Amino acid sequence: MDERKVGSLRLTLDFSQPLYEQILAQMRSLIARGAIDVGEKIPSVREMAHELKINPNTVMHAYQELERDGLTEKRRGQGTFVTESVTQIRHFKERLAFDYSDQFLDKMHSLGFRWTEIQSFLTTTREKKGER
Amino acid sequence: MSEQIISAKGLTKRYGGKTAVENLTLNVEKGRVLGMLGANGAGKSTFFRMIVGLVQPDDGHLEVLGKEPGWRTNAEIAYLPDRARWYGDYTTKQSIEWGARFLPGFDSEEAARLRDIMRLPMDLKAGEMSKGQEARLMLILCMARRVPLVILDEPFSGIDGSSREHIMDVLIDALSEKQQTLLISTHEIYEAEGLFDRVVFLDQGRVALSGDAESLRGQYGSIDALSRKLYREGEK
Repeated sequence: MDERKVGSLRLTLDFSQPLYEQILAQMRSLIARGAIDVGEKIPSVREMAHELKINPNTVMHAYQELERDGLTEKRRGQGTFVTESVTQIRHFKERLAFDYSDQFLDKMHSLGFRWTEIQSFLTTTREKKGER
Repeated sequence: MSEQIISAKGLTKRYGGKTAVENLTLNVEKGRVLGMLGANGAGKSTFFRMIVGLVQPDDGHLEVLGKEPGWRTNAEIAYLPDRARWYGDYTTKQSIEWGARFLPGFDSEEAARLRDIMRLPMDLKAGEMSKGQEARLMLILCMARRVPLVILDEPFSGIDGSSREHIMDVLIDALSEKQQTLLISTHEIYEAEGLFDRVVFLDQGRVALSGDAESLRGQYGSIDALSRKLYREGEK
């Protein structure tokens, strides 16, 4: 695992996993949790490729997906920016939260746990991790 | 479908009783980076020499930039041969001037920019350069050309760590600024790991494994680790 800085952002790349998915997942999180601000410019494809030492095609592919998510917008001759729409980011975040919850519940159900048990697992885990 | 830069079908080349390349079929699309990987003598250099018309295949069909390989296609290819040497009495400056005069598509401004990145003294003669400096000089002559196809045979060999990073920067620019197609052979995969779109592992002239770099990563882990695994198995 390599941690690399791109402008003010920190990204981690693990060359044993597809790179496209890692960039996409990390950029999504950075935008969703506000580490990159609403309306802020994100690093250019070229800058990102140079700092991560990877193929610009891979970065471009991830950037296209961010745009499809509605998280970013390209502005002609200026670069790519995080959307100005707070609602859009919130919608994306909620959609992702539902996906994660869904996957988690599916896994717990496949082990045969019921809701009350799942709840107690959540409470215990949260206590172990310390409240965040 | 994107424009095909290389289209090879059933390429075979034998030297006496030894098969250098056997039944090689592959396509490379515009703007892609193909990594040709494998041990010494696996057939990588033979394949590159076929593309620039230095070696005639015994069998199979090869199209480069939509044409048969020859002097016409070579004007559109920047080729760095394996273990290339340069004229010993040429300084960096004279070599770049030579390039501007004789190499098709040579961009002198780009050469100056690359020389800055590669930190090569202008008045140093090739004969007095270290192996790494000479390799960097030849790389500048290749990468300063505005041509659609760039072929680099072992561009990292004998080059120290910080120069390798500079080379990576130059290659990334070739893709993002110039939309060039790159064919790179190397057995030092770690440095170039993130650059490949597609990889072909050759073993004794045959394709041992090939595929999209990202899918291979998802399936087997890093290309570097995969290569070491394949290579170890080959030794058994």
